Amino acid sequence: MAKKSSTSKKAGANGRRPLKSAPKSAARNGNLSGERRYTIPDYRLESFDCAVRQVASDDGVRYEVTGDLSAPVPPIRESKSLSPRQCLEIYRWMLLNRKMEQALENLYKQGKVVGGVYFGLGQEACSCASAYALCPEDWLAPMIRNQGSLLVRGFSARDVMMQYMAKAGSPTFGKDASSHFGDQQKRNVCAPISTLGDLIPVMAGVALGARLQGRNIAALTYIGDGGQSTGVTYEGLNFAAVQKLGLVLIVENNLWGYSTPSDMQFRVKDLAERAIAYGIPGAIVDGTDACQVYDVVHDACERARRGEGPTLIEAKMMRMKGHAIHDAAEYVPKPLFEYWRKRDPIARLEKFLLERKWLTAKQNEELIAGVDGELEADREFAVNSPMPDPEKTPQNVYCDGCHEIKPKYGVPKAGSGKGSGKPKQGEAAVHLR
Amino acid sequence: MASTSYLEGIRQGIWEEMERDPSVFCLGEDIGIYGGAFKVTDGFIERFGPERVVDTPIAESAIVGAAFGASLTGLRPVAEFQFMDFIGCAFNQITNMLAKAHYRWGAPAPVVIRGPSGGGVHGGPFHSQNPEMYFVHTPGLKVVCPGTAYDAKGLIKSAIRDNNPVIFFEHKFLYRRIKEDLPAEDYTVPIGKARVARQGRDLSIITYAAMLHVALEAAEILAKEGIELEVVDLRTLLPLDREAIATTVRHTNKVIILHEDTRTGGIAGEVAALINEEAFDDLDGPIVRITSRDTPVPFSPPLEDYFLPKVADVIREARRLKSY
Repeated sequence: MAKKSSTSKKAGANGRRPLKSAPKSAARNGNLSGERRYTIPDYRLESFDCAVRQVASDDGVRYEVTGDLSAPVPPIRESKSLSPRQCLEIYRWMLLNRKMEQALENLYKQGKVVGGVYFGLGQEACSCASAYALCPEDWLAPMIRNQGSLLVRGFSARDVMMQYMAKAGSPTFGKDASSHFGDQQKRNVCAPISTLGDLIPVMAGVALGARLQGRNIAALTYIGDGGQSTGVTYEGLNFAAVQKLGLVLIVENNLWGYSTPSDMQFRVKDLAERAIAYGIPGAIVDGTDACQVYDVVHDACERARRGEGPTLIEAKMMRMKGHAIHDAAEYVPKPLFEYWRKRDPIARLEKFLLERKWLTAKQNEELIAGVDGELEADREFAVNSPMPDPEKTPQNVYCDGCHEIKPKYGVPKAGSGKGSGKPKQGEAAVHLR
Repeated sequence: MASTSYLEGIRQGIWEEMERDPSVFCLGEDIGIYGGAFKVTDGFIERFGPERVVDTPIAESAIVGAAFGASLTGLRPVAEFQFMDFIGCAFNQITNMLAKAHYRWGAPAPVVIRGPSGGGVHGGPFHSQNPEMYFVHTPGLKVVCPGTAYDAKGLIKSAIRDNNPVIFFEHKFLYRRIKEDLPAEDYTVPIGKARVARQGRDLSIITYAAMLHVALEAAEILAKEGIELEVVDLRTLLPLDREAIATTVRHTNKVIILHEDTRTGGIAGEVAALINEEAFDDLDGPIVRITSRDTPVPFSPPLEDYFLPKVADVIREARRLKSY
């Protein structure tokens, strides 16, 4: 995790210079060393140093990528904590994630989906390995591309399919679409809303609520390079930092917010640098490397469970499809797709597992066939399940005693018990009478 | 001697709920050691500790979002807004996150969002507004606007015990201006129920919050000239008490709707439509609206006095309506 250091002059692992504050003002403030240095650990085995900018020509305005896209594909970084069995489990979740989305695409083409389909293609390692680092009592709040994390958390592909087909038996009974569902009772999953960044203070509040009940838990959520531009992202993360709440925020820098490149969202080199400004640890990982993602999220969750506060993790990757199924992403320069296609998270993890002989070719075939079989059964069930009864439209706007509300983690602390209950201030101190 | 102010009623209500139920806690700006800008939570941090009286950064979206998050773990947060004028900063959290949670994914959101609203204290355009209608238009919320100390205490308790997000508008003009004796024992006032604050036969005036007192004062004066006003205090704007509204119209056949909120899109329009649906045949005259002007709340006293509805407005309109 990030260390604040006043002596180290070493550059970061990725060769970047550590950040400096303005030396003169620091000296004026009595800091004798005159400068402060911060490092953000970068676990990647390569650095992606390209920029996307708008270029005007006779053909119109388009995006152009500059930088070196010829680097060889890096290997998967050996995990410091995952066992071979766990690596295989994550690999299976990632396969299920991708193949489920392929099934959704087919269902869409067959006219069975209501509305659009959102994909996490190229981001499966980040969704699945991060959610895999959670314990049952922790919380997850996924974003639209984290359908894989919902699977890891115990929902089935059938649930996701029925959401997209707006079926009566979907987790929201047809009230909402896509990954917009959760489970407050058992799985500790908060449903997302469409606006971006709003889950961040909610997950901070989940950690606050658990702490009030005597438990420090990890509360994981995500934001994109586009979504992090919102004000509520700042509010939520700052609140978590000030209160030292166990928020784990993964900034999924997938280079595109709908059609806008990340270079038009922010000016810092790496979004993980924002951690410095919040006074919390930050880290950079290759979001296409499941082992890296798991290790860093695991550490951040452990930190949260120790009550040491939030962590900001930037996961670098690319959104390998358009914003949603209607969007062919023709605005994306083709060399970027070629570069990131070579870094496919599933193909690389598969190679890693086969090379280490943690998985044989035959076992792999069986595993893939198992995933296909599971998805076919789920698809069949979802397609044949009924649409909701329109009479149910007005139901459940309010909770009229249908839910029992009780603390999940234990009896909250009662407080210090001092004080009489009488006001101590006079009226003179009151704002606007 | 009447002893308990409107503000003290709210304060006692929250205090008693925190004593009764350890899952209730408060969060907001300056509510701890300072006791809140209006001192509603004065003394709370000593009694309940900083864990249950959480001072936050100036971040309204974070306050509401965190309150919802804590409610997901089974707690009942009470979030203070320093002024309800600032509630727009948390609009998305309230209307999209909290209000829709139970409908969309079955997560109850037992969150109270409370704070001072309303004018008459020369607070200017950003410390005097009545933003309740933004939320009345949002299914899934409850919107409460008490007008008496008794109701303020009973309704804040009901709001805290409710399994849904409740926006609780405290009228700051009333905070220390009205007092009454309150029962010593625990009591609640149900959300969604209006109250007949004064019975009368000639015409009805439907109102809420600070305007309740304008209506009652006008009713006293009008009674001396033989016009008996029935004053109905809505108390809750969402869900509206349709039956109470219809009942008073059937009783008097003439109705004035009075509110401090601005005219266009104020609750008067909704109440008028509701009367049209429920009791059109019982009307013996036009439905009359008395409201603030469609302007921002002006700062200077002569401007604000012109802006706000007054007793004289009610008397004038009541005489006019009586003549139908």
